[in-house]
Amino acid sequence: MENLWELYKRGEWEIPFLIFSIYLFVSASFIFYLIIVASRNRNIKREKLRLEYNILIEKVLSSIIFEDVLYAEIKNDKNFMVLFDTSFFREVLTETLINLHKNYEGVYAQKLEQFYKDSGLIKDSFKKLKSFNWEIKCKGITELAEFNINEAFDQIIACAKARNKTLKITAINAGIKLEGTKGITHLTEHADIIDEWTQVNIISAFKKHDIGDTKGVELLLESQNTTVVSLGLKLIKELKLTQKVPFVAELSTKAPNTIIKYEAQSVLQALTL
Amino acid sequence: MTFFNTDITWFLDVYILLILGYAILIMSSYLILAYLSQKELRGYLKKNSFVDYEVLLTSEFAPKLSLIAPAYNEGFTIEENVKSLLSLNYNNYQVIVVNDGSKDNSMEILIKTYNLVLTDLDIHPKIETKKIKGIYTSRNAAFKKLIVVDKENGGKADALNVGLNIAQNPYVVCIDVDCILDKDSLLKLAKPFLESQGKRIIATGGVVRIANQCVIKNGRLVEVNIPDVMLPRIQVLEYLRAFLLGRMAWGRLDGLLLISGAFGAFDKEIAVLSGGYSTKTVGEDMELIVRMRRYMLENKLPYAVSYIPDPLCWTEAPEDFKIFKKQRSRWMRGTIETLSFHKKMFLNPKYKLLGMLSVPYWTLFEFLAPGIEFIGLVITVIFIVFGLLNWHFFFLLLLFVYSFAVFFSVIALFSEERTYHKYPKQTDFIKLLMAAFIEPIYFHPLTVYSALIGYKEKIMGTKGWGEMTRKGFTKK
Repeated sequence: MENLWELYKRGEWEIPFLIFSIYLFVSASFIFYLIIVASRNRNIKREKLRLEYNILIEKVLSSIIFEDVLYAEIKNDKNFMVLFDTSFFREVLTETLINLHKNYEGVYAQKLEQFYKDSGLIKDSFKKLKSFNWEIKCKGITELAEFNINEAFDQIIACAKARNKTLKITAINAGIKLEGTKGITHLTEHADIIDEWTQVNIISAFKKHDIGDTKGVELLLESQNTTVVSLGLKLIKELKLTQKVPFVAELSTKAPNTIIKYEAQSVLQALTL
Repeated sequence: MTFFNTDITWFLDVYILLILGYAILIMSSYLILAYLSQKELRGYLKKNSFVDYEVLLTSEFAPKLSLIAPAYNEGFTIEENVKSLLSLNYNNYQVIVVNDGSKDNSMEILIKTYNLVLTDLDIHPKIETKKIKGIYTSRNAAFKKLIVVDKENGGKADALNVGLNIAQNPYVVCIDVDCILDKDSLLKLAKPFLESQGKRIIATGGVVRIANQCVIKNGRLVEVNIPDVMLPRIQVLEYLRAFLLGRMAWGRLDGLLLISGAFGAFDKEIAVLSGGYSTKTVGEDMELIVRMRRYMLENKLPYAVSYIPDPLCWTEAPEDFKIFKKQRSRWMRGTIETLSFHKKMFLNPKYKLLGMLSVPYWTLFEFLAPGIEFIGLVITVIFIVFGLLNWHFFFLLLLFVYSFAVFFSVIALFSEERTYHKYPKQTDFIKLLMAAFIEPIYFHPLTVYSALIGYKEKIMGTKGWGEMTRKGFTKK
């Protein structure tokens, strides 16, 4: 340090500074280059593994769906169980399981749900809910909601109160899938702004999961949070809930502001014409 | 004599300090911006992996968009380009093609292909433009989204203003008609308009990438390749640096001064209230953003400009130096004009981050940089002629700048690798890496030269774009 100061005082710092910087840039470039190469190789390796795993996974899952094989029998396959202990294999297995579950209904879907529970993948998902990392939480929520694990509802709704918007949307959507309107009634107490993107997602979740029982949607109109009221109005309009017209009419007479009043009148017009 | 020598030594010392100071300042700013970009990019990608854009497709609450595509002598590709605009993944949108007095058969092709007829559209122009010859819509219900405007030639800004006057939706998306858009580009561009929390989103922009040698099928990009020709290849790297390491950070700081004219969405009301596109500059895209921001700040309206790092738009880069020079000199003229129109903002605290950081940054590192480099070159030549040059120091300085340039390009490649990974082929990666080594000695001098031509043109009072010839994309 003293040497550096001496160099600076003597006005001879430029050359050592340039040499040091050149070394720094060259070595940093080389390190970044190595990281890029390593990352590309890792990706290639993972893709190869994914392909290999997919072959095995598809074989196992098709035997479960079409040949009524139980998880207890699959457990006897040592090769499968060795792979099952690796996190990447379980990740690929869960992804494939989710994709298949999205494409099947009825008995086939139930068999996949049973496999999800028996294999212990469900425990992984619950573990993910406890993570401090919001993305991992989102993954866990998506998995549990996909396989209709209603016991997870309370934990999922707790996540819906998070400040992180992505986590909030994922949790609300999952809540709607699992318990319908029960998944959004907590929003009446919500203090933060629910932006239009979140609102559009909530409406879409109702349509996607074909929620028939809409009891409780009208509670949103009573919220002190105007964005929640706006969400309620949009839901009533999009889902054409004519039975909620009296609540909308009441709101239009005592709306907290002109925007809500206008929105309520527009919903009334759309539903009564 | 001793006095003279002392003077020279003093001048040399100051000169060296200034050069080093400027280099260190520019390099540090690049690194800080790269760091911020990386942080923002990673955050965006994490969030985006849980986003379902399809919800916008089925929602009546999706923002209503009007696409404005000005066209001048695009007869060769206009049929296919309009078709691809009409087949984007979005519901609430209309396409307004503005034929800016083309001298070719663009209008005839459009009328024939889309079965167009003159229509009597009720418009109330808020921005003054050149005369409209006719407004056309299609007889075919399949093209009901399409409006074609035939007008007198008035330049790109004038054509865009006609689009702003005609647009029926609250948001306008201004695009270059010859750009290849990602199928979901409108979904991604529209989302930020729904995310405003107390701040009005006045504009959103996405990343533009180079499409030379990429394979296009039915107006969509199906295969990404790195060009064999060095000039566009280096531009791929340049765009990666600019968009992934620069604009992303400015977006995070909310100090973005430019949304590419090739693809950007605007709040129509604010764009019109700000006066629309300026026909007095060739940098109308940058000028509009600066003016819209200025309007919001002067009226004390809370606002934000959003930036999306996804590669949404692919464009053709110039392959020969003549066209490249025209493009870059025009960019420089546009920068000079915008900065001079809004010189009031320079270091003016009233304009917050924009006035205190964005505008000074652009002035110092975008507008003045080529001039400073040129002056440095002239002084170096003088030193050589008078035998004053310290060769050891000179080569070290060159190596210092060169190694940083390569290092920064490698960071851009690293960023691309860890995020979008659009160039998975080994050969493409090697091509880009080679380009990083060649760029400082081949491409950079060309950009400086073109920028100096831009200075000259500005001084000489050159106006307009000049003819820009395009080679066209590889089709499958």
